[in-house]
Amino acid sequence: MIAQVLAQAFESPTIDYHALAPEIVLVSFAALLILLDVVLLEKGRTFISALAGIGLLATMLPILTLAIDGTDRVMFGGAYVVDDFSLVMKAMFVLSGYVVVLLSTNYIAEGDYWENEYYGLLLASLTGMVMISSARDLISIFVALELLSIPVYMMATWRKRDIRSNEAGLKYYLMGVFASAVMLYGMSMLYGTAGSTLLVDIGEAVGGEETTSIVTLAVIFTIIGFAFKVSAVPFHYWAPDTYEGAPTPVTAYLSVASKAAGFVALLQLVMVGFYARDDVYEPVLWILAAASMTVGNLLALRQENVVRMMAYSGVAQAGFMLAPLAVAGKIGDDAVVATVTYLLIYAAMNLGAFAVIIALARKTGSATLDSFNGAFHYAPGLTVVMTMFLFSLAGIPPFGGWFAKFAVLAALIDANTAAGVVLAVVAAVNSVIALYYYGGLARRMWAEEAPDGDLTPVRVPVSLVAALGLAAGLTLLFGVFPNLVSEVSDVSLISTLGG
Amino acid sequence: MSSWPWLQSGRIGDPQTPSLGSLAVSDFLRSYLTVAIFGAVALLLAGGILSLGRLIRPSHGNAEKLLTYESGVDPTGDMWSQSNIRYYVFALLFVMFDVEAVFLFPWATRLEAYGVFGLVEMGIFILILLLGLVYAWRKGMLRWV
Repeated sequence: MIAQVLAQAFESPTIDYHALAPEIVLVSFAALLILLDVVLLEKGRTFISALAGIGLLATMLPILTLAIDGTDRVMFGGAYVVDDFSLVMKAMFVLSGYVVVLLSTNYIAEGDYWENEYYGLLLASLTGMVMISSARDLISIFVALELLSIPVYMMATWRKRDIRSNEAGLKYYLMGVFASAVMLYGMSMLYGTAGSTLLVDIGEAVGGEETTSIVTLAVIFTIIGFAFKVSAVPFHYWAPDTYEGAPTPVTAYLSVASKAAGFVALLQLVMVGFYARDDVYEPVLWILAAASMTVGNLLALRQENVVRMMAYSGVAQAGFMLAPLAVAGKIGDDAVVATVTYLLIYAAMNLGAFAVIIALARKTGSATLDSFNGAFHYAPGLTVVMTMFLFSLAGIPPFGGWFAKFAVLAALIDANTAAGVVLAVVAAVNSVIALYYYGGLARRMWAEEAPDGDLTPVRVPVSLVAALGLAAGLTLLFGVFPNLVSEVSDVSLISTLGG
Repeated sequence: MSSWPWLQSGRIGDPQTPSLGSLAVSDFLRSYLTVAIFGAVALLLAGGILSLGRLIRPSHGNAEKLLTYESGVDPTGDMWSQSNIRYYVFALLFVMFDVEAVFLFPWATRLEAYGVFGLVEMGIFILILLLGLVYAWRKGMLRWV
């Protein structure tokens, strides 16, 4: 055996450096940040966050040139694919990462935190996300998933003198490891069935005439592993505690980028790997979607803490994003388009909402719903943009959220099945429930009196203003010109099957 | 076993077995039944073995026997003992070198075959890992004070 291996001539794989340029730039900047930290120690604090931002913007360049070039690039025998889908998601991850850097700049600098390491870890985690968008192979998916998760376990505990932050990180870590174990178990059965780790080969092996029990188990375990990642009910219970305890910029990162990464992997697995087995994955995704929307929204109604409310709202939004996948067997690539549309718009509006929460907490130092009372009297600008983000999350035109909800509902109706229509009704009812708590928070900000009549204005630092402007601009733009999103999100996974 | 043909064949979409016992079961439910059975077996196996042990083992405790086991010597001190946090750092550093070695050995055995490509790739790999060591050193983690 060994002699046989040794006798083989080694052929170095052809590496398309243009296709890998985003990853290479990101890794170089992450390494550069650590190197600067090692050389300069505390002297680096003044510019390290700016450098992280520059690194992310530099990463956008190769993504743009690849998008302009437009050819699908397949590497390593189909394990790593750079196509429209992966480029859109890479751009989304890098831009969300940039907004998170903007959100973190003052928060991390003003606290008693290690600063240089924070940005190094953030870039490392983003590298994992950029990789997972291209990974079409079980091993690549798993390595990318761990690369994006492990730094975030540490970032969640960044307020290390706060017991809640410790709890947040530990819970997230334990749940993440548990989910990885469940997922790996499913993947091992997939490999056993297909004899290959490539999603394309798995698609062929899994999509036979009959459903074998091993395939059912494999598909369900793998999906459950990712259901933890995207915090779908009933695998959501880590989310509120982790979101509440983690530093708020990290919470924003978790709720947008980390969740989106779970969806990217899930989309690739379902659309490329399991696609023909819709009798297995559709029911389980249907239940996850319906339960996430309903339970997430109902629990959000009862929250007293705005971050916990956003956590449950995030659970409900994850339900909306899962919904098109529950009818994917009928509508094919339209499910990918609907979910990607939702992810893009959700990223803009959710990051914006967290930016306002961080800005207001600079004055109130608290995250209870009461602390938002009367914000209009001392921070009218923040109140206006927060109202916009909240209405967008609820799905009210002309803000972006309506188009996201529209895309999902249209996909569900297009499927033309009883299951699809029922899920569309569940989604519609849940949009109304969600309006109650989103609207309730907006009402507090406009109509209530400020606590203690304290009307000193909030000083919003430049980086937060930039983040708010970016998020608000995109939320409004996506709502008024939805064709901007639909143009970008018009991607497909199934057509790359042959790749 | 004859009433469970779908288990024997290992296939649950078998059209000749449209029912489970006397119950008519849809294809959909039958495919998910695998998951339920799998879960039940997992629970029964763990629960069954534990309760079986409890049922059949003799229990004649005395002070000596009930003593906490600590590698054969008499346990001393409190059960809440703290260990030095520095061990943790060294454990992490050990993992770093360990992983490095795991990848270095297979590469080293076929150094010539991998040629320049392998050399450059390995160089990048070692450089990034080395950054971790330099980081630990610069942050004073290697000092045992």
